[in-house]
Amino acid sequence: MNTTVRVLLAGVGGQGVLTAGRVIGEAAMAAGLPVRVGQLHGMSQRGGSVEATVVVGPGETAFVGPGTCDVLLALEPLEALRAAPRLRSGAQVWLSTARVVPSTLGAADRPYPAAEEIDRALLERGAVVHRLDAAALAAQAGDPKAISAVMVGVLAGTGSLPVPAALFEQMVSAISPARSREATLQACRLGMAAAQKLGRQEPVRA
Amino acid sequence: MSAPSPARQDPLLAPAGSRLLLLGNEAIVRGALEAGVRFACGYPGTPSSEITDGFAALAPRTGITFEYSVNEKIALEMAFAASLAGARSLVAMKHLGLTYAGDPLTTIPYMGVNSGMVVVSAADPSCRTSPNEQDQRWLGPLVHMPVIEPANAQQALEMTRAAFALSEQSRLPVLLRPTTRVCHTRAPVTLGELQPGQVGSFTRDPARLVPMPAHAVRLRAGLEQRLAQAAQATDHEVFRSAEGNSRTGVLAFGAAAAVCTEVLEQLGAQVRLLRLGVAHPLPEAWLAGQLQNLDELWVVEELSPFLEDAIAALCHRRGLPVRIRGKRTGELPGMYEYEPEVLLRALAPLAAKGRAPAPAPAAPAPVAGRPPVLCAECPHRSSFFAARSALGSEPLFFNDIGCYTLGCGQPLESGDALLAMGAGFTLAAGAARVSGRKTVGFMGDSTFFHSGMPALLNAIKEDVNMIAVILDNDVTAMTGFQESPLVEVSAGHITRRADIVEIVRAMGARRVCRIDPEELSNAISAFREAWDEPGLSVIVSERPCPVFAHREGAGGGKRRPYRIDTSRCKRCGRESCGQRCSQGIHRGYERAMVRARAQESGAEQNIPPVAACATACPLFLCVQGYSAHIAAGRYADALELILDGLPLPDAVCRVCERPCEDVCVRAQTDAPVAINDLKRFVVEWADAQPQFPYRNRTEAEHGRSVAVVGAGPAGLAAAHELRARGYAVTVLDAAPEPGGLLRYGIPAYRLPREALARDVKRLLGLGIRFEGNRRLGRDFTAAQLLEKHAAVVVAIGAHRALRGDAPGSGPQQHDALAFLRDETTRLQGSVIVVGGGNSAIDAARSALRRGAGEVMLACLEARDAMPAIAGEVLEADREGVRILPGTRVLRLLAEGARVAEVRPLKPGAASPADYTTVEETARELRASHVIWAIGQVPERDGLADLAWDGSCLSADARTGATSHPRIFAAGDMVRGPRTVTTAVAMGRRAAWGLDRALRGDAADRRQPPPHPADRTLYRRPGVVRADRAQRAHPPEREPAARTRDFAEVVGVLSEAAARAEAARCTICGNCGNCNACVELFGCPAFVQEGAFVRIDPAVCTGCGVCAGFCPTGAIQPEGGP
Repeated sequence: MNTTVRVLLAGVGGQGVLTAGRVIGEAAMAAGLPVRVGQLHGMSQRGGSVEATVVVGPGETAFVGPGTCDVLLALEPLEALRAAPRLRSGAQVWLSTARVVPSTLGAADRPYPAAEEIDRALLERGAVVHRLDAAALAAQAGDPKAISAVMVGVLAGTGSLPVPAALFEQMVSAISPARSREATLQACRLGMAAAQKLGRQEPVRA
Repeated sequence: MSAPSPARQDPLLAPAGSRLLLLGNEAIVRGALEAGVRFACGYPGTPSSEITDGFAALAPRTGITFEYSVNEKIALEMAFAASLAGARSLVAMKHLGLTYAGDPLTTIPYMGVNSGMVVVSAADPSCRTSPNEQDQRWLGPLVHMPVIEPANAQQALEMTRAAFALSEQSRLPVLLRPTTRVCHTRAPVTLGELQPGQVGSFTRDPARLVPMPAHAVRLRAGLEQRLAQAAQATDHEVFRSAEGNSRTGVLAFGAAAAVCTEVLEQLGAQVRLLRLGVAHPLPEAWLAGQLQNLDELWVVEELSPFLEDAIAALCHRRGLPVRIRGKRTGELPGMYEYEPEVLLRALAPLAAKGRAPAPAPAAPAPVAGRPPVLCAECPHRSSFFAARSALGSEPLFFNDIGCYTLGCGQPLESGDALLAMGAGFTLAAGAARVSGRKTVGFMGDSTFFHSGMPALLNAIKEDVNMIAVILDNDVTAMTGFQESPLVEVSAGHITRRADIVEIVRAMGARRVCRIDPEELSNAISAFREAWDEPGLSVIVSERPCPVFAHREGAGGGKRRPYRIDTSRCKRCGRESCGQRCSQGIHRGYERAMVRARAQESGAEQNIPPVAACATACPLFLCVQGYSAHIAAGRYADALELILDGLPLPDAVCRVCERPCEDVCVRAQTDAPVAINDLKRFVVEWADAQPQFPYRNRTEAEHGRSVAVVGAGPAGLAAAHELRARGYAVTVLDAAPEPGGLLRYGIPAYRLPREALARDVKRLLGLGIRFEGNRRLGRDFTAAQLLEKHAAVVVAIGAHRALRGDAPGSGPQQHDALAFLRDETTRLQGSVIVVGGGNSAIDAARSALRRGAGEVMLACLEARDAMPAIAGEVLEADREGVRILPGTRVLRLLAEGARVAEVRPLKPGAASPADYTTVEETARELRASHVIWAIGQVPERDGLADLAWDGSCLSADARTGATSHPRIFAAGDMVRGPRTVTTAVAMGRRAAWGLDRALRGDAADRRQPPPHPADRTLYRRPGVVRADRAQRAHPPEREPAARTRDFAEVVGVLSEAAARAEAARCTICGNCGNCNACVELFGCPAFVQEGAFVRIDPAVCTGCGVCAGFCPTGAIQPEGGP
């Protein structure tokens, strides 16, 4: 593989962003691809913004700098907005619509940004935006907290990386504790199906 | 998905040749295993924590001896001792820890290691999780030790492995210094062979291992030679590489080398790239060889120009004409991490043709932040909350390093300063010793053991005036739940080896108490008691980290989450008044509310929408609001609340009959709050300010004009209210000056003229016109007024005095109101005042002041049924007025009057006919004056065309509407003589009624005080606060002195007394603007949704702490209590 693919996972502490990044990295590694996974997680456990990066291609680092992100997996809308400047023109954005409202927002005088405002910021970067309710899919799979597994499935479903879907499933399975393995795996599969279905539909328009 | 436990998979024990995706930190652990490490220890700290955690997980299976040491200094010493004892050792920490361990660190090289010793100290450029970014490479020359830095995970493994050999060759400790970016990036790593750890033996060698001065001075000489050996060893491919052919070189160091390589590739730069992984000692021979073939060299290194200076010096020494470009020349940034974007700009001059980077994009619009917060159920939150609820903002707060650092931010704001591990107590102590202010220091259990114990001991020694709070949650939660030194976890059980309370006592602390922060009421009391005791108090706040406890299975089952009942949340009975609530409440008020709630018995949740005092107050004033403001020292805010409902504060705070105090729930504990004295305090405070701190809320004039007839309390209140509603207002009065009864009917010893003048001046200052000497029916008619004005309020009071029907004559007869207008003419002889109301008392007390001999007061009512304010009757008594209750004047005699006792014919007797005279008690009283104070009725001049109801003008009680659609009425002329406060309320209601008539619903934007019949008296039973406190009494003049003149009798509370008195308010009513859960507590389970707050059941763990303080009692367990 000669071109580099930069994937950015953006979410909130506790959503499983770092684990999802690791799963994607392990799958790429198992597919024989050069890969690095970056994570910045100082106080991520306390509900702050968290991101993981997966860079597939030659090189040593895992940076996804401004204007370089090829695929954004946003586990939360406000975090998608925060990641917008990182997108390159033509980037894919897969946005989980369930909000995690930060403590500073939500009051009448400080509203959470409207969905249209977030879409506009993403579209202005020239991105192709798909929205999905990953939380609902996770709940459908039997584990409402498996949003990150859904998003791993979404990435698999997009075919953005030359990694067979079976490898993603294998890594999701390997990293999940036995008691929740089935639900997690199912969440991943639902994400995959959702991405394939949405990919055939019109993306979000301005 | 949850992270796999290393113990289950043990990727770090995979066979040689495996290729794994490892974090830099994991690669370091594997590298050490491949070097046969036998002892590992450290202190957790981001970004190094996965190193110690990795060893912790592997130790049982590899025979490695491991410990989480109590602090970094101890860890370093442990590792050194292990090395001396013949074991290869590794010690890990973050950058800050190594300088803490500086004392042993600087001596270890003198003594020299035996087996290899590697010190891993992770650096944090850009201060991502640290209070500073520091370039530890300077420790190399300072300490005389090699310093190496990997660029990626593979190098991290290889350098760690090589570092042990380097250490043994030079007998120096080796500092391996990965940066956050390498620590926390996963990259493919090819594994080498594992080597079992071995232990040699400790060889006695005092001349080397006891560095007394004589030995040290000799050992010093050997250091340079050992460093030179190290320099030879670092001339190795693990530590340096070179590629590319060009006379332009780029030397890139450590983590920056990886970024630099990618950026040069992107720029298509044709350069000779030197990558260096060792900072000290430099492989000088190799470097000089490279420099010989270069014209210029770009030095790319993060943080400081360490290599740049060293290479410039090398070029100088060797006479190499290489131009050095770097931080010193301004071509590379002098701080922060070198991300690709940074180097792309800095190295752009090296770009191949057509490969220059695009200009930097404009800075993105700011996005709302998502600050980290303490977890739901976190005991730290409750501890901070209890401290702030108990102590407010008075103390200086000092915080420390741990999860609880988050307590410094909103909303807990419990950190005025923070420095380093263990400094919470020292900062608190130092500030307390010089400032004279009591301080509070917070610190977690791990930090206490790390370095807080000596800090506490230091404070104990001097008995510093501070509160030291130890937040004991059993673990180092911040860095991943490492156990605290006192705790052992096995099979889901948390066992404590010792008790911090006992430790602290043994250290000599005298006042130590243990709290459970979830028991808010006790916790608040503990903080208040500690605050009141001078000297050092220690509070140990104990509760295990719930995240850790649940993970270890020690937390019990999932509890029912809580929910917020929106029908109770923010439910305030005065919500419709809008004005007050719109101003937003203050944290100090919220704090007082939550403290009041938290300290009540938990069972009492039936909180009324309005406090009892407000429901009793004719003006419906938010007493609990202004009391809380006063208690917190925010007098201007208190004033706002008072002025909003009371346009004549200077007068009313002196003459109000205080119906609020009669119903104060505080009376159930001790005595009612001295509400009117608080009001007086605030008003006098405001009067003493250079400018009266009043925010004018008057609407802009909308062009309509109204007239108010009568400038007494009702008329002035109506005028103010109408002016506030945007009307042009003219007030007319028969007297030359405004004030009416306040000026001419209340004696100056109760209401000094200058106090009234201040009220009047403020009102006229709003643009209200006053015309004096204008009597209705004499100088103008109502019809004339209605020609010029859209509507009229009449409030001319009741001035036609009634006289008793006692026959006979003799003494000089006076009407009370006329008598009260004269405060100067001296009286001769004794006086009988007839009547039991306030005018009678005023007349009697005035008569004393005017020199009367004996002053008697005869009234039909029994003493406790007298209509006068009870306190006034008591004062009259104290001043020497002879009060004759149940007494009728039968006849006036030449030198006095004949009187007799009476008996009421029915309960609630109101008119003279309701009393029968007991003839056999008849007797004579001697007097030269008789003052009639048995009531007044309004004059009808000019208003005879309106409907009257007996002696009073007929008017609607809620709107003041009369039989004329454009005339409204208020005050004593409507219902007969009442109190000043009631008159003010009536004036405000009449103004609203007028405004409704003219402008319809727009008038409802401002609401007048509701009519008493429309209120429920919320007198909440069962409010019992434990802390009894004496009611404050304002100073007053002695009776003997005060009856000589008309100077004011009652003084004002001192500031301290007023604040203490205000704090006695239990805040028994709801507040419609409360946001305390979000603004003061800030649990992540709270979600703000417009005007309300919701609890996210997925986040709430059911701890229920919030339910214990919610000021409206709206927080309940899901599914009911």
